Amino acid sequence: MSRLLEVEDVSFAYGSQSVLHSVSFCAGEGEFLALLGTNGSGKSTLLDIVSGFRKAEAGAVVISGRSQHDWKRRELARQVSHLPQSIHANLPFTAEQLVGMGRYPHTDSWFESEEDHRYIRAAMERTSCWPYRHRSFHSLSGGERQRVLVAACLAQNASVLLLDEPSTFLDIEQQLHCFSVLREEARSGKLCVAATHDLNLALTYCTRLLILANGVIAYDIRTADAQDNQNWLGLFSKRLEIGTTQAGSAWVWYQ
Amino acid sequence: MSTTQQLSFTARYSLVFSAAIYLAAALLLPWVGAGAISVSRVLRHQEPDYEILLQLRLSRTLLALIAGGALSLAGTLFQAMLRDALATPYTLGISTGASLGAVTVIALGWETFFGIPMTWIGALIGAFVVLVIVIGGAFRQRQISAFGLLLTGMAINSICAAFILILSGFAGLARSFSIARWLIGSIDATSYFSLAVLAIVVSLVGAMILSQARNWNLLAVGERWAASRGVRVGTMLAQGYVLGSILMAGAIALTGPIGFVELIVPHVVRSRISSDHRILLPCAFLLGGALLALCDTIGRIVIPPAELPAGAVLALIGGPYLVWIIRQRTPAEEI
Repeated sequence: MSRLLEVEDVSFAYGSQSVLHSVSFCAGEGEFLALLGTNGSGKSTLLDIVSGFRKAEAGAVVISGRSQHDWKRRELARQVSHLPQSIHANLPFTAEQLVGMGRYPHTDSWFESEEDHRYIRAAMERTSCWPYRHRSFHSLSGGERQRVLVAACLAQNASVLLLDEPSTFLDIEQQLHCFSVLREEARSGKLCVAATHDLNLALTYCTRLLILANGVIAYDIRTADAQDNQNWLGLFSKRLEIGTTQAGSAWVWYQ
Repeated sequence: MSTTQQLSFTARYSLVFSAAIYLAAALLLPWVGAGAISVSRVLRHQEPDYEILLQLRLSRTLLALIAGGALSLAGTLFQAMLRDALATPYTLGISTGASLGAVTVIALGWETFFGIPMTWIGALIGAFVVLVIVIGGAFRQRQISAFGLLLTGMAINSICAAFILILSGFAGLARSFSIARWLIGSIDATSYFSLAVLAIVVSLVGAMILSQARNWNLLAVGERWAASRGVRVGTMLAQGYVLGSILMAGAIALTGPIGFVELIVPHVVRSRISSDHRILLPCAFLLGGALLALCDTIGRIVIPPAELPAGAVLALIGGPYLVWIIRQRTPAEEI
């Protein structure tokens, strides 16, 4: 398994408010990481730093063996795609135009090629949003918009996918579908990192749990070992218990 | 028809349509005015028809076509960067800054210096001073906040407007009248040298803006979105604000502060043709120029021999249209 992402002693503060303090971890192809933590624990900030949107105050990020600073911006965009937590809903673009933007880092031609359109269509079909490709983004429901945005990340065909709460607004069937698509991406040799608050989706689909608390990675555990040490659950709520489903996988119960 | 073919067909059709309107405006509108011009007399270079067409109406029409296109292009750019269909360089105070610069020059009586129109220099300096102040005020955490830009812009707008009133009050009757006339915004006959300079500046800046059309698409979605698709957001925004301000100041210096063209045209193109900046930007330029030239023509034929300034005609059309846009916005869009 080759390493796709190395985060080394990354620190970040908003003014005097420290958010991340010497965060380190690395991950490779085939992994699907769940980035967990309570509100304000720094999940989105960490994804912003890995994507290159924010600069860490200290530490380094290495993508595919090369320091993030050494990648040209467009080259980096071919390596890393990022689904931000919130996108302005009042966008004048159609669903297909938005997904097509995922192909911009791959081409210099003025308009997308037939090959680009094959990627766009495949991504939209995988997230079940191809049927409304001609509709304006602002006319879509929250869940439909989210499927378009996930498709845009897939169409970018990057080796590292950073997704900030990808299942937001999705109905239960679509949440399961979204995470299974991301698991397929990881299994095809990519690295997926999804910030989420849904512990059961994380336990069911992800290979590893990274839990942020007080600006550091408090726990870095394989999903298969999640039941062995249950202290991590206490970071979220005292009303949680972890058990096993009939299929043998871990499951968090709410009291 | 495949999606690629469909896209290029739409792009080609829209561009040809917009270019045809622009060309038609350039060829037909100079012939329209309070007094009729004889084609045969013009072809024989006979006065006064030849002189009126060449020195008055043609230069006015060309100025409207170039300045209207520049204003519309600047509006489209600012709307993409600020992600707001109602945002314009006026919103950020850049246009009022350019006006303050030009008004200062008029108030001091320095309208030309060795043949160079000093209102140009004044407008450029005014626009850039305001740009630096507004961006400085909105700069937080090594990033430019769109909300901060709008708030700082509103404050600067009011300050510049106050200085314009003060200068106008102390300028004396004749200069005060010149300032008031300039502030209405109008298309007057201008020298072909000035037109050539404006055309070169607008062509170069317009080409630079158009060459980054895909990046404006990305920025219109969001800064994180753009950053993770290969855009250097800070550099791109700085470039956009500088280029937009050059277009705005260059046009305003020759026409005065004409509003609404940068609001109406991008909105119509976005809703009727395409939101994709690869199509939107050239169409907005072409149709913006044609609209301003048309308003100027309406202004000179509606109450002959008097003329209505193009800015006033455009405001009479644009004002109600702006109210209509606001009524069309949903509560979610107003957040």
